[in-house]
Amino acid sequence: MIAISANGLTKRYGRAAAVSDLSFEVTQGEIVGFLGPNGAGKTTTLRMLAGLVKPSAGTCTVLGAAVPGPTLRRVGTMIEEPSFYPYLTGRDNLTHAALLHGDVPRSRVDEVLEFVQLQDAARKRVRAYSQGMRQRLALARALLWRPQVLLLDEPTNGLDPTGIAEFRESLRAVATEGATVLVSSHILAEVQKLVDRVLAIDKGVLRFDGTLTQLLNRMDGQRVRYSVRATDQAALAAALTALGYDFEPRGSDGAEAQVPRDRADDLVSDLAAHGVKVVAAAVHGDDLEAAYLRLVDPAGRPA
Amino acid sequence: MNQFSNVVRAEAFKVVRKRRLYVLAALYWVLLPALALVVARVLHTTLTGSFADDGRVVDQTLQLFASPLGLVRLALAGPAYTSPTLYIVAVTLVAALLIGEERSQNMWKTVLVVQPSRVAVMTGKVFVALAALATLMAGAAVSGFLFGLVGTTFLPTRLEGDWLPLLGLYGLQAAQLLAPVLLAFLLITLVRSGVLGVVMVLFLPGLLETLYAVINTISQVQPLNRFNAVFQAIRLQAAWKALPEYFFTANLYAPGRAPAAAWFKELSAGEAGDLGPLAGLLGTGLTLGHSALVMAGYALLFGVLLYWWFLRRDVD
Repeated sequence: MIAISANGLTKRYGRAAAVSDLSFEVTQGEIVGFLGPNGAGKTTTLRMLAGLVKPSAGTCTVLGAAVPGPTLRRVGTMIEEPSFYPYLTGRDNLTHAALLHGDVPRSRVDEVLEFVQLQDAARKRVRAYSQGMRQRLALARALLWRPQVLLLDEPTNGLDPTGIAEFRESLRAVATEGATVLVSSHILAEVQKLVDRVLAIDKGVLRFDGTLTQLLNRMDGQRVRYSVRATDQAALAAALTALGYDFEPRGSDGAEAQVPRDRADDLVSDLAAHGVKVVAAAVHGDDLEAAYLRLVDPAGRPA
Repeated sequence: MNQFSNVVRAEAFKVVRKRRLYVLAALYWVLLPALALVVARVLHTTLTGSFADDGRVVDQTLQLFASPLGLVRLALAGPAYTSPTLYIVAVTLVAALLIGEERSQNMWKTVLVVQPSRVAVMTGKVFVALAALATLMAGAAVSGFLFGLVGTTFLPTRLEGDWLPLLGLYGLQAAQLLAPVLLAFLLITLVRSGVLGVVMVLFLPGLLETLYAVINTISQVQPLNRFNAVFQAIRLQAAWKALPEYFFTANLYAPGRAPAAAWFKELSAGEAGDLGPLAGLLGTGLTLGHSALVMAGYALLFGVLLYWWFLRRDVD
């Protein structure tokens, strides 16, 4: 089922086009990264999908219905900097949103507060919250009515590395419940550990729509650097040797391997076939970043 | 209907947590009748039996202003004579809370995603604003009554009077606050600033009415009498002269200021059937039916403009 679709979506402000003829689809349950530099048109696109901004041309649908429409009530959003009523407590802000929505049981407020680990600060006024707490409270609000679609705009802005990691874990937990997530960022490294697929936009135009591996395939080099962690480092090393890949051990349980680009997709299954239990595997950030920068700036920025 | 009631519940939840409304309510509910009772007590102790108390005029005055009925009337009329009026202060306060904060705290993007029906959102906010204002007025009436009852223990006042017409005036005044609520919502939405919108609500109607007075004065100065000639030529003279009857401020407070005419008539022992120029000074020259129609017209105009603008605008 298509959860989100954009068809020829265009938004002009005067003569300038913030978004031009943007078309894409996101299927139910997918986690998609919406990438682009600042001013690329990401926020405008998300605002159109959330029914806040009317497209100058084109249409968009969410959960099968045109936007704006009734299905928006099944969407959770975090658009730009999270905003709250500062004189209300965290819990009261969530209660207000729950009442406004109408289909949220009171107990759900405590559930989401616990989920984002804000139960101890729930009685504090939001004006006393740190940036990280506000981000987590915004996620809690977006999750209040168990949305089927999440539209997140730069959700990790202002968070420290620990906060980003915690936020990513929270989001991953949400995604495992089957929600479709469209998460925008101007930093690929932030979303690469989370997303299945990437939409890259620049100057309002869609530049790329595909998986991270497909993004890597646009690189000039023949090899991809993979960081792999396994339950048994010796077994991992043996498997990588058997597969014929160059690698260097990292820490007590990992390795950084040079994998031929055409085998990058199959690395985890190849290791599993050699009896290795893989805990984590990710393409080295620098390689993805280089491919991404080439997309949005073909003249070539330093990676 | 569900969406509307959801908005009403959420906005009411927010309003009851705003402390400055309680400050306003305390001023309105306690300060005004308490002050009236203090003044009444001073009048009673210093003037009763003196040369000024000819024909027990002090007792009559106290019954007019400090009896339960008198204090309830004072709670209706008093706020209409302050400057700016307590009514418009309350309207701007509620509008700033319900509409201004959505702008200043950047909350529209949240509110309109949680509740995408913009008609329900705006209608719910207007309803809560009116309900808050009506609650303030009802509280003032109850408080006036209770203070008046306390006053009967140490003042020569009685629990008597014609309550029904007074309660009708309360209802009419509360209903007529719809127009300034819609004006406040419209201006705050248009100028996209809570503070500027509130300032405009406080001063714009008065400014336009002052402008009329200035033009009217200038047009009557001899060397500039061509103004009159122009109005005569296009047959607008009558409309120009009748314009003050349609002024926003004069019509808005007509129900609240109606008791003032009653006070003056009762104080003059029924001799002044027509208050004459005093009616203009007190703002009691307009009939209630006329003012209700004019304010309904204003409400319609502001309401159409507000919804038209709000339903089509992008949310930044």
